[in-house]
Amino acid sequence: MTTRPNDDWFTCLSRCDTDVPCGSGRHVIRWEAGALRLDSHADPEAELVLAALGGEKARCVEVAEAWERHAADLTMLAVGPRTLGDVVVSWEDVDAADWAGQTVGGAGLSGHIAGGPGTVRRPSTMLAAAMAQASARRTRLLREHAEARQRRTDLLSLFALGPAFQVRLAGQVVAAHAGRVDQPGDQGISRRSVLVAALEGRLALVAERWLGIDPGYVKASLHAGPGWGAAELTGPGEQRRLRVSLPADWLARVWASGLALVGRHLVVAVDRGGWPDARVLALPAPGAEPVLLDVHARHDGPHWEI
Amino acid sequence: MADTRDMNREGAETYLRLLAEAALRGALAASREEGLTGSADPGGHRTRLKLVGQALAAVGALDLGTLEEILVDFNLAMAVRSGGDPRSGPGAALVASLAGHGQSSHQLPMAWAVRLGLGRAEEVTGPGSPDREATPDDAGRFVPVGLKVPFRDTDVSGELFLMSFMRTGAGVRFFAVWNIRAPALRDIALIPFGQFTVTDDRGARYRLEFAPSGDSGWTSEVGLCPAPPPDARWLDIAAPGSKAVRIGLCSPGLGGAQISGAPVTNTGTSPGEHLLVMLAERLLTAVPDQPRNPWRQATTVAPPALRLMAASLGDIVAALEAADVLSPLSPVPAQLATLCASLDIPRHGITAPPARQLPEPWLSVLAHYQRRKPDPVPLLEGYAAMTAALPELDGIQLVLLGLHHSEGGSSLYALARGRLPEPFTGPFGIDPAFPLSVWLQDSGGRWHAARPAERHRGGARDAERTMRLQLVPPLTRATAWAEVRVSGPTAEVRTRLPLRWGYPS
Repeated sequence: MTTRPNDDWFTCLSRCDTDVPCGSGRHVIRWEAGALRLDSHADPEAELVLAALGGEKARCVEVAEAWERHAADLTMLAVGPRTLGDVVVSWEDVDAADWAGQTVGGAGLSGHIAGGPGTVRRPSTMLAAAMAQASARRTRLLREHAEARQRRTDLLSLFALGPAFQVRLAGQVVAAHAGRVDQPGDQGISRRSVLVAALEGRLALVAERWLGIDPGYVKASLHAGPGWGAAELTGPGEQRRLRVSLPADWLARVWASGLALVGRHLVVAVDRGGWPDARVLALPAPGAEPVLLDVHARHDGPHWEI
Repeated sequence: MADTRDMNREGAETYLRLLAEAALRGALAASREEGLTGSADPGGHRTRLKLVGQALAAVGALDLGTLEEILVDFNLAMAVRSGGDPRSGPGAALVASLAGHGQSSHQLPMAWAVRLGLGRAEEVTGPGSPDREATPDDAGRFVPVGLKVPFRDTDVSGELFLMSFMRTGAGVRFFAVWNIRAPALRDIALIPFGQFTVTDDRGARYRLEFAPSGDSGWTSEVGLCPAPPPDARWLDIAAPGSKAVRIGLCSPGLGGAQISGAPVTNTGTSPGEHLLVMLAERLLTAVPDQPRNPWRQATTVAPPALRLMAASLGDIVAALEAADVLSPLSPVPAQLATLCASLDIPRHGITAPPARQLPEPWLSVLAHYQRRKPDPVPLLEGYAAMTAALPELDGIQLVLLGLHHSEGGSSLYALARGRLPEPFTGPFGIDPAFPLSVWLQDSGGRWHAARPAERHRGGARDAERTMRLQLVPPLTRATAWAEVRVSGPTAEVRTRLPLRWGYPS
């Protein structure tokens, strides 16, 4: 099974794989060139048909479906990794949370519904209308609850794939929205708001390692137009602020690729993508002119060096 | 709560999402410090995030669906990082963490109609609504009564004190305080309503129907069934064991005239300022809820609950500015800072320097808190008719029904009519669906904040609800008159009413 490939935001990312408990064994799931692949399932579409007919759905297939569902889900940026490895979820966690969602959630829901507004001494037609309304509310609440549970299980499953997959999925989400920052997202959510927060939340931690600055003093904005953006350090003491303006796709092309900080330089853009060798535009200090650096990925982890 | 045309909704959402990022960092740091004994909300960051989100929702800069999503995501982000107690075994740690971080499908205590509208408060249909045909009673007719109807049966005696007569689309009824003298029980079911007779000027007869209203247990609406005709001039109410009491329905009678022409003044406040004023009033009125000792006597620092409430004020001010509903030049944040200082609340986070002046009602309440001596002759129990239909403010008309003082507490009763969305919880527990600030000044010049305590819907199809507004501080004497000031987001109205008090015999 192959997910829809993105453009070349991922050129600085290597392939990665992990094994997943699936059926009675463990299967390999692989990410390569922007696509998720299930090497142990030759025909996932056929398995989906069988599952729809009542057969058990393979976990690998469930994961691939979840990846598809959330490849443009801005929630991934609010919940997902700020640094490589800060989100730790195991498959035991996924199973336990799903089971708890079935039991606790169901019981809680009954109480919720029973706690709805009462109807006192209404005429029979009004009572019937109230009962119909209550039934519709219950149906809607049950659907909402099922959707919320599915969403949580999806996210936990995707996190359980491990840090390498987490950042790649985050990169894919950013890439899906970066070109449409000023268009409203699903359900009225502001893409710009989510992307600004995602940028600041991640950049703040990078800047802390870069300059030793308190992450709370880092202010990010989205850069639009020509050039890579801007970065300046202002104010003394408590007024100290690092103000950085970067394009939204910095998160996909640079941060998700593990390139944000290389050799004490803040990488602000990829000049020539590639893995394990790339050329990047990087700042030695805030306010300084960016320099071109040839960087090389280390094979023992997601780290780059000059 | 407010007109949202000129708001920066994207600025509001961005501010809250950035705050969520900072809160996540702060909460994780606090969680590491607290270790395994940590709280479900390390450092109080989640509470602060929620309060700021509720403030933005209260002014209409953020819809409740988006707020809920941000809170759910924050909780999940915390859960997949903090990991719970690793000693609890595979899988259980995350489940415990999810439970600890309130990871249910819903995060906000919203009313059903709001929940199912996800961000759009459902308005109750009523007068002016296209869904319903108007009736002559929709305009409403309110008459002050202020008469006592004693009753005496074989087992029970007491009196009904009729404060106001109301005729609206929800029916014809009195608003009443009742008092029973019974051997053991004081239950309204003991009142022999079936033995009361009601007759109008044409000889038509009616019966009284009790409708519960009012959490004090001593107030209620007493319906008239069938409804008397609109041109009925008076009603005679005869209770068992006593003479009939005549109630005029045409003239204003005693206890204050019905006014509809009280002048409405534009306040020029922004939605953000109005919200901050309501939060300030909530802080002021929360003081009596706190344990009195040692705080009232040793005013060194406010109790934790007040400090927790106030800790988010700086963020709320910044969020309102980001949403363009509060000018950076507004004097209200500075007044709020002064109020916090007066209440010994540190770390409120408001960066504006404290203001030198506070609104007179705030000063009056602060002076009450700082007074050490008890009042010489406290008011024990009493009730006063006080009927006035105030002009509509921001889509809501308030009809004053009466005052009641009992067991050390004073309440102002009112009927709210008009644009009444389902209540939902705003910051500090305020209800943004009732965005009115209500104050009462007594004849001694003291101000009392009227804090919404309970509201009852008048009827499923009618856009009106009776409300109890708790006076803080309570009245200390039977004030000869009361000036009521009601402020909405854009305008305010004041009216002064003479009062005649009744007392239980």
